[in-house]
Amino acid sequence: MPRSSKQRKGGAVAPSDAEVLSRLEALGKKVADQILQGKPPYLEIPVRTLSNTVWDEKRKILVLGPRKARREFFDIGESKKFMQTVLMLSLIVRARREGDYPTIRDLYYTGKHTIHYRDLHGRRRSEETWNDQRESNAVIQDIEVATGLLREHMGIMHDAKGKIVGNVVIRSKGYEIDLSRMGSGAYAVPPNVDRLEILRVDADYVLVVEKDAIFERLNEEEFWRKHNCILITGKGQPDRSTRRMVRRLWEEFGLPVYILTDADSYGFYIYSVYRSGSISLSYESERLATPEARFLGVSVSDIERYKIPRNYIIKATDRDIKRAKELMNYPWFRESKEWMKELKLFIRKKEKVEIEALSGHGFKFLSHTYIPEKLQKGEWIV
Amino acid sequence: MEKYRGLSPAEFFHRNREMAGFSNPVRALYQTVRELVENALDATETHGILPDIKVEIELVEGRENWVRVTVADNGIGIPLTEVPNVFGRVFYGSKYVIRQTRGTFGLGGKMAVLHAQITTAQPFYVKSSTMDSPAVYEYRLYIDISRNIPHIVGFRLKRKGRSKWHGTVVSLVTEGAWNLARRRIDEYIRRTALIAPYATIVYRTPEGEVVYERASKKLPEPPQVGKHHPRGVDIEILKNLIRSLSEDMPLKDFLRKYFESVGEKSAIDFLKWANLDPETPVKSLRIKDLERLANAMKRYEKWRRPRPVTLSPLGAELLKEGAKRILEPEFVEAVTRQPASYGGHPFIVEAAIAYGGKIEPQNSPLLLRFANRMPLLYDEGADVSRKIVDSIDWSVYKVKFPAPLAVITHVCSTKLPFKSVGKEAIADVPEVERELEIAVREVARKLRLYLSKMEKLHEVKRKELTIKRYIPEVSRSLSYVTGIEEAVLRRKLEELLEKEIKKRGVVANAPVIQAA
Repeated sequence: MPRSSKQRKGGAVAPSDAEVLSRLEALGKKVADQILQGKPPYLEIPVRTLSNTVWDEKRKILVLGPRKARREFFDIGESKKFMQTVLMLSLIVRARREGDYPTIRDLYYTGKHTIHYRDLHGRRRSEETWNDQRESNAVIQDIEVATGLLREHMGIMHDAKGKIVGNVVIRSKGYEIDLSRMGSGAYAVPPNVDRLEILRVDADYVLVVEKDAIFERLNEEEFWRKHNCILITGKGQPDRSTRRMVRRLWEEFGLPVYILTDADSYGFYIYSVYRSGSISLSYESERLATPEARFLGVSVSDIERYKIPRNYIIKATDRDIKRAKELMNYPWFRESKEWMKELKLFIRKKEKVEIEALSGHGFKFLSHTYIPEKLQKGEWIV
Repeated sequence: MEKYRGLSPAEFFHRNREMAGFSNPVRALYQTVRELVENALDATETHGILPDIKVEIELVEGRENWVRVTVADNGIGIPLTEVPNVFGRVFYGSKYVIRQTRGTFGLGGKMAVLHAQITTAQPFYVKSSTMDSPAVYEYRLYIDISRNIPHIVGFRLKRKGRSKWHGTVVSLVTEGAWNLARRRIDEYIRRTALIAPYATIVYRTPEGEVVYERASKKLPEPPQVGKHHPRGVDIEILKNLIRSLSEDMPLKDFLRKYFESVGEKSAIDFLKWANLDPETPVKSLRIKDLERLANAMKRYEKWRRPRPVTLSPLGAELLKEGAKRILEPEFVEAVTRQPASYGGHPFIVEAAIAYGGKIEPQNSPLLLRFANRMPLLYDEGADVSRKIVDSIDWSVYKVKFPAPLAVITHVCSTKLPFKSVGKEAIADVPEVERELEIAVREVARKLRLYLSKMEKLHEVKRKELTIKRYIPEVSRSLSYVTGIEEAVLRRKLEELLEKEIKKRGVVANAPVIQAA
């Protein structure tokens, strides 16, 4: 394949800091106006449940449906959540105004304090604004969908664990970084991928590997240099920034994306997350999903096709099978004949293997034979 | 050679004292107080007098388990010449008639006196005066047990002068375990104060004095003396009635005149059914005929129900007053059922429910049982009321245990269906059980109404408080985001909430709306 320097094709542009702040402030102002006008205040928040997600046939991603719920302050069941939402809103606004980049855990601690009150019988009581991070995380998600902003736009950090290496040059905080010159290491994908600029890409495809150990092995062999690709790992279940990075390389540079995972329902699910996003966070898929991502392997049929030695084959557990059955209901799997075939085969044979099983044919089999052969023959699944 | 001799009634009870509740020093003391207090109440309320009763318990120094019990009332008093017999002779009294009375055996205080005499060998003291008597008289007496006659050892007579005092004071020294009986007796007095809210009871013990002031000046209608109901007779009753007739009369007239709820027509209908000649002179009836008559009277199903004039229920209002005074609940409701009957004996059931206030929350309803205005303290587990209270699913009435719930039941009858000779538990006679259950459920429904009302009130209050406690946080946050003054937002929110609570009380759950 010829080496080529990819040109930027465009893609969604992250909103500016000023835009982010004004959208957040507008949400607060709407509520304050209701109060000043003497109306019981409420927030309007798109419903984030499975029943309100829609499979976008054309774009092959899950998107949030049209349903919205009113979170009324004077509704006893919603009152606390209402308080938590405006409290979180004020914390995020403060971070933006002061140029801070808190993590979701920072926000949890900053907003956590004790409310003292007296109950019906006049006894002193107290209550925390939130009891655990799940509660503060939930209202962050509510603010994301209510404002149409992702948390990354709002400058909220999380533990990023993605790694990338390859012929890519980026600019971050004014520094140009050549991702092909990382030695034995790799570039750690930062939490807010939209704040870095991708300057040049000179690769034919993106190879996403599930496992960090496989990534390290391929990097050590300089697989990416020999095969002119970009190597990325999300270390198992990928975080948002890894997914965003993959998405940008596909969207902005038109690179095909191949995913390499274990041959089990957990591996298939990871592919599914890269490809279409998780169901509970469907509102993010528009920016994070890569609907054309291709599943390179290891597939269930590969067990037979590559004659993987029996001692590498593991019996699938009941949970694996149950999970596979769930996957069969996902719209993007359901409309793929090949995926249905794979999943049925998995459920029938009840056998799974790890990527490492390919070493049964020698340690270099993966990089020298398996990956190139599959790419060449076009043996991937979408 | 065996010797045969008759036993005097006094001697009989001496030998069978456990039958009358004097089985041990704890029970005996309780029973002593009980008999004397009940006599005192009968001497007052039955005659339209608001009872003023003093009960005093003193420990006799130097004598282990000797207790002096003194009970004083302001009742009608006992005529001068009757005093020795009333107290000194078993089976002598005015209670052998058909009407509701407290005394359980017709023994009144006599068993108490007998027990005292047997255990301490001390004479007992009686002071009395009737309303029209010009004098107050005091006796010190013994019972001659084997001959069943009183034996006077001391007597004093005093002119009343200006004092209008009437009533009776009985004082005796008996063997009893005060420390062990104390809680029962305290409870007995407390419950008596509940069922007799029109009585003032001064209760003095070595531990101190408690005064239950009367909560009402209203007395319940006293019971009237009635006739036997035909279904409740036996041969003995028939024999006694016929013997007491001054002149002979035809059977049909005998039935009509001497039995409850029997008229000319029903007498003839019955006799036809029983194949007896209505014109037979009653005095000519032989034992065999009487046996046939008694059996037929019991079996005949068409007798009218006995009239309840012989009964004296407390009435719902007084029962509520009593419960309020003793239990101090936040809610109390009571009901008096219509009269009913079982086996020819009329009865009336009353029930009350008290909830909250000073009642301690417990895992099952606190049950206070009464029969003919007497508290029943022992054998609760065997009582039909306990069975009913336990069989009710209280959650239907919005009661969640542990709950501060007290159930009061009161059964009045000319013949109470006691379960055993101890006379502390009402048996589960189907007619009585049914009435009790209806009564308890009726007041329970009223409790449910009350609890739902309270629940709603609490709910609204709770909502208001819940929302209110978030107002500072919401105002502060919105003020920071928008720059609007915090105090303005806070005041406005508080106003809005107040309006909202007044308007709806309850804020409905937010509906999910479709986006445009």
